[in-house]
Amino acid sequence: MNEQIVWIVLKRLRTPFLVIIITFAISILGLVLIQGTDNNGNPYQMTFFDAFYFVTYMASTIGFGEAPYTFNYEQRMWVSFSIYFTVIGWFYGIGAIVSLIQDEALKKALNRNSFRNHVRNINKPFYIILGYNGITKSIIDRLNGHNYRLVVLDKDEEKIDELILENFYPNVPGFVGDATNQKMLKIAGIHQKNCAGVISLFEDDMVNSKIATISKLLNKKIDIIVKATSKAQLEHFKSMDLKHVKNPFDIISKRIYYGITAPYIWLLEMWMYGHILKLKKRDQFPLGKYIIYGKGRMGKAIQEGLQKAGIEYVIEDFDSQRYIEEKNTTIFGDDDDIQRLLELGVKESACIIAATQNDLLNLTILNKAKQLNPKIFTMARENTLDDLNIFQASKINKIYIVEKILADATYSYIARPLADLFIQEARKKDDEWARIIVHMLNNITGMNPMYFETVLNDANAYALTLRLEKGENISLADLRRSRADRNEMLHVVFLLLKRGNEIYLMPDARMNLQIGDELLIVSDEENYSDFEYIVNNIYELEYVLGYTTS
Amino acid sequence: MNMHKIISGSFFILAMTVNFGFFYGEPTVLEQHSSYELFAAIIVNLIATVLKLGDRTQLGAVLLATSIVADIQLIASATVWAFAMYVIGDVNIEAATAIVSLSGGALLANIVSVILFVGDTLKSKR
Repeated sequence: MNEQIVWIVLKRLRTPFLVIIITFAISILGLVLIQGTDNNGNPYQMTFFDAFYFVTYMASTIGFGEAPYTFNYEQRMWVSFSIYFTVIGWFYGIGAIVSLIQDEALKKALNRNSFRNHVRNINKPFYIILGYNGITKSIIDRLNGHNYRLVVLDKDEEKIDELILENFYPNVPGFVGDATNQKMLKIAGIHQKNCAGVISLFEDDMVNSKIATISKLLNKKIDIIVKATSKAQLEHFKSMDLKHVKNPFDIISKRIYYGITAPYIWLLEMWMYGHILKLKKRDQFPLGKYIIYGKGRMGKAIQEGLQKAGIEYVIEDFDSQRYIEEKNTTIFGDDDDIQRLLELGVKESACIIAATQNDLLNLTILNKAKQLNPKIFTMARENTLDDLNIFQASKINKIYIVEKILADATYSYIARPLADLFIQEARKKDDEWARIIVHMLNNITGMNPMYFETVLNDANAYALTLRLEKGENISLADLRRSRADRNEMLHVVFLLLKRGNEIYLMPDARMNLQIGDELLIVSDEENYSDFEYIVNNIYELEYVLGYTTS
Repeated sequence: MNMHKIISGSFFILAMTVNFGFFYGEPTVLEQHSSYELFAAIIVNLIATVLKLGDRTQLGAVLLATSIVADIQLIASATVWAFAMYVIGDVNIEAATAIVSLSGGALLANIVSVILFVGDTLKSKR
C-alpha cells in the first residue's frame, strides 16, 4: 500500500475517532458513577467493565436488555441520554468513512497505486504507449502478449475508460495522466529494467519532441519511437540521436517513389505489410502526368516522391476547409470544379491523387475525375478509419491511410525488426535484383509465402546450438534439407542473416552458422515447422546432416 | 500560537500525568490505585493517539508509535484487572502488581513521547 493513501485515510478519520472515543467515555463514566439497585434492592456500583460492556452493545444499537441487574430510574435516564449521544457519534463516524471511500483524492491515489502495481508486476519487456487512439489501438491489438506487454497513458479519462472496456488479454494497464509529465512517465515504469521503450505518435510535433526529450533524460537505454511530420522536426530528433523516428508522410513519399521507379522493391515492402507477393496490374503505378489535389503535408510528400522519380505533375492548392466554407458542400464537382479539372489536364493525365483532409471531398474528386477520364489511376488519402467500406466500394486503385501506415511501421519495427531491416536493405538494391528475388520466392514458396524471424539460441534451436557449441561447421544449405528425405529440399528461403551488427542480405548457402545468428526465413507454415523440428530435435538434425544412425 | 498545537500538546502531557497518577502508590496494594484514574488514562491516551494521526513527518510517526504502545499497555492493564476480578474472582498481589506495572510501562512510553514533543518544540525556531 502506498504511504500517501494511509496518510489520507488517517487524517480524515481523526475527527470521527475523537467523537466516538469521547461519547463512549462520557457514557461509561456516567454509568459507573450512578448508583444502581440489584435484584434484592441493595445499592450497587457498576464497575468499569460492566459499564464498558453495556455501552458497547448499546451504542452499536444491538440491545440486549439491562445488565447486570435491571436498571433503576436514574440509570435509565442516563442511558436514554447515552443512547442518543453515542448513536450520533457512531453515525458521524460511519458517515465520515463512507464519504472517505467516495473521496476523489483517495480514489485517484488508489487508482494510481493499482496502476503502479500492475506495471511493476509485468515481467516481460513492455512498451509505454502515450495516447490511446486508432493507431495505438491497432498496435496494441497486434503486439500485446506476443513478445511484449503494453502500458498506456492518456490525458483523457474517457479514452482510458474505453481502453479498460476493450478488455485486452493480457491486460493492458492504463492510467489518466499527462504524458509530458515526468512523474507520470515514472509511474508508467520508464525506469524499470524491462521497459523496452516509449511510443509517442501524437499529432502535435511539439508534444512528441517534449516527450522524446524527457524520456531520453529519464532512461537512456530505452527505444523512443516518435512521430515527426516536418523536416525540421526530423532533423531535431536526429540530432538527439533517436533512431526510430516515424514519419508517415515520408513513408508515403518513398512508397510512391519506389512504386513508380522500382515496382518490385515496392512489392517486397508491401508484402512485408501483408500484401500478396505478386505484382497485379492494378497495383502498378502508371507513368505519365500526375494531378495532386491538396497541398498539405500529404500533398507535399507525394510531390517529393514524384519529383525524385522524375514524373511530371501538377499540384492544386486545394484547401478542404475553405472549399466547404465557400461552397457550403462536401460534394466536389460543380461546373467550376470540372472546368478546373479540365484545365489541370485530367483527360491526358495518368493518375489523380486526392490528398485533402476531408474524406468525402477526396471521394468526389476522384469520382469526377473518373467520369472525365475513365482510364485514370486513382489514389486517395483516407483520414478516418470508419469510412473504410465506402472507400473500398468506390473502387479506388490505392488508398493511403496515414494512421494505418504509422501503425504498421511501428508494429513492424517492434515485432519484426528483421523484416524492417530487410526493407531498408532492399531499398539500396536495384529493381532487377528485387525482381529476381520475387521470382525466386514465388518459385520456392508460392504466391503467398509467410516470413518468420528466429534467433539461433538454446530456446529456439536446441539441437543446433548443441552441435555448434562443439565447434561443428553447419551451413545454411545443411538446414535446407527435408527431414523426410535429406536429398530433397525444404521449401524455405533464408532472406536475411544478422550477426551482431553485420547484415547479410540473401546470405550465401555455404555460410557457416554461429550461435546468436538472427534469421529472416520465408516459407509456409508446414515447411517452417519442419525447419523448427530439425533445429530443435537432435535425431532429426543428425539425419539431415547426414550422420548414419542405424 | 497554534490552536492545534495547544490542544494536542496538552493532551500528550495530560496522558502522561494521568498515567502517572494511576501508577503512583504501592504496587501491591490495589486500593492505592483508583480505577477512575485508569479509565481517565485510557481515554486521554486514546485521544492523544488520535490527535497524532495523519502527521506525515518522521517525528509524527514516532510519536504515534509511542502512543500506540501506551494504549496497548493501558488496555492490557485494564484487561488484566477485569480478568482477575471476574474470571479468577480474586485480585491477588500478583494481579495487582501486573496491573500497576503494565501502567508503568505505558508511563515510560508516554514520557518518551513527551520528551520527543518537547525536543521538537525546542528545536523549532518559531
